[in-house]
Amino acid sequence: MESKSFPGIVDSLDSLREYIGELAQQAGLAKKPTYNLKLAIDEIATNIILYGYQAAGMEAEVVVLSEITGQELVVILVDEGAKFDPLGKELPDSDYFSKSLEDREIGGLGIFLTINGVDEFSYQYSEGKNRNKFVMKIAAT
Amino acid sequence: MKVTITDHEEVTVVEVTGDIDSKTAPEFERNARAATEKSHKIAIDLTEVEFMSSAGLRVLLMVYRNIKGQNGKVILVGVSEDIQDVMSTTGFINFFTIVEKLDEAIVILKQD
Repeated sequence: MESKSFPGIVDSLDSLREYIGELAQQAGLAKKPTYNLKLAIDEIATNIILYGYQAAGMEAEVVVLSEITGQELVVILVDEGAKFDPLGKELPDSDYFSKSLEDREIGGLGIFLTINGVDEFSYQYSEGKNRNKFVMKIAAT
Repeated sequence: MKVTITDHEEVTVVEVTGDIDSKTAPEFERNARAATEKSHKIAIDLTEVEFMSSAGLRVLLMVYRNIKGQNGKVILVGVSEDIQDVMSTTGFINFFTIVEKLDEAIVILKQD
């Protein structure tokens, strides 16, 4: 797998998205799934940076592992923050989305957009590291 | 990202250029809040915004609540297809009027 590291600060989000855009282009991903993947990565990286690192007073990197096969683009974000499973939180359900905007609680939106935007999302914790895995299927052209 | 605020008589226009993520959203929020404090007819021009994360959606939610509270109106301008899709997935789209050009937004807001 290819590996690239980014400092765990919000200033990195821009270059992180740009890097994901390059990977998506190499993989031949269409425009819309490319945007969705950038969004998903941005949302999870934001959680890692703001809560895993910044709020904990930690300075560490976010590592992007990636692999392009014939059918898939796989991206894994690896971080050293406290164990956090994005899937462990309760996600907004249809009840939430039928509420008017005044009545909505804020939060959970980023993870909802992540799961909604990629073909597969999974989480694993091993050897003291969080691994958030994103898989995009590459449409046959 | 850059935000500029301009007044067109009773309408206040918030124009954003660049990506809205968790780094830049606080700046967008500060400006949008200032706009809702001085006017209840707001146009947010997103023509030059390619990317907006949930941090940006949260700012739109804040604007919607502030404006609704004072019986005002907010119109979004030039929202990209990608961002409209995200707004649609999250149900945000039902609460906002979206137009293509700033001129249209100003005309609608002045009529109100």
